[in-house]
Amino acid sequence: MMTECRRRQPIRQQIQTTPEDHRIAWLAALAITIHVLESALPSPLPGLKPGLANVITIAVLLQFGWRMAAWVSLLRVLCGSLLLGTFLSPTFLLSLAGAGCSIGILWIACRLPGRGFGPVGYSILAALAHMTGQFTLAWLLFIPHPEIWHLFPVLMTAALLFGIVSGIIAGAMTREHRQCRT
Amino acid sequence: MTRADWVLLVAVIGSLPLLYTHFWSDEGVARHLQVQIGNRPARIIALDQDRELTLDGPLGTSRVEIRDGRARFVNSPCPGKNCIQAGWLTGAGELAACLPNRISIQLLGMHPRFDAINF
Repeated sequence: MMTECRRRQPIRQQIQTTPEDHRIAWLAALAITIHVLESALPSPLPGLKPGLANVITIAVLLQFGWRMAAWVSLLRVLCGSLLLGTFLSPTFLLSLAGAGCSIGILWIACRLPGRGFGPVGYSILAALAHMTGQFTLAWLLFIPHPEIWHLFPVLMTAALLFGIVSGIIAGAMTREHRQCRT
Repeated sequence: MTRADWVLLVAVIGSLPLLYTHFWSDEGVARHLQVQIGNRPARIIALDQDRELTLDGPLGTSRVEIRDGRARFVNSPCPGKNCIQAGWLTGAGELAACLPNRISIQLLGMHPRFDAINF
């Protein structure tokens, strides 16, 4: 009897969203905007980019924890690539490898005992991990030539500098900073 | 900046020079000569001894000289002699070929140089 009644009602499906989902969406939208804007900047070397979207990842990490930072970071790579038309292209794969590595290293860094890192530390780790992951994938898949490693020190230096800058910006964005262990 | 931040920063700045010395040393120093004749498997010859190679191709015998870690064609039965005009090959990755005689030689280093880059 009950089941019959239910069947007669029009089918309305709604995905239940939590306030946290909304927050992730907003922050990811912000990160995607920066990502897309930044892709318009010219670059002297392939793979060299300020990575300002990293600022959002770090700020989210400090404010809302690792899980949300991972969501925002991966959503940014996915939606950014859809908007730029690079989905599943080499650029997308490189970006994904970089984001995956930086999220991975942040997971480890969040679990350090003691006071742990501040925004600058997290940002440097994320930038270096991003570059290493991206570079290794580029070498393995696209340019499997040992000579490409000559670029590596230069790119790592750039990653360090941009990591410091992003970290300072993220630190200024998040005044109070909480534990990132969630 | 927490203490961990400073430690990380110092460690990274300290290890960057290591990256440079590790990846930038030995650049372009040729160690071996790769000799290719027709479709036969390439031969790799060390450059540490001075010697002269006689290579038999379809047209005849080409001679390649190895001296002081360099290599060049000294003689070849081809009409154009481009291979001889290529002169000494000095850096890793440099290549000279005698197409009519189907012989090519290339210097190899620890990290061979690009012959082309495309992005």
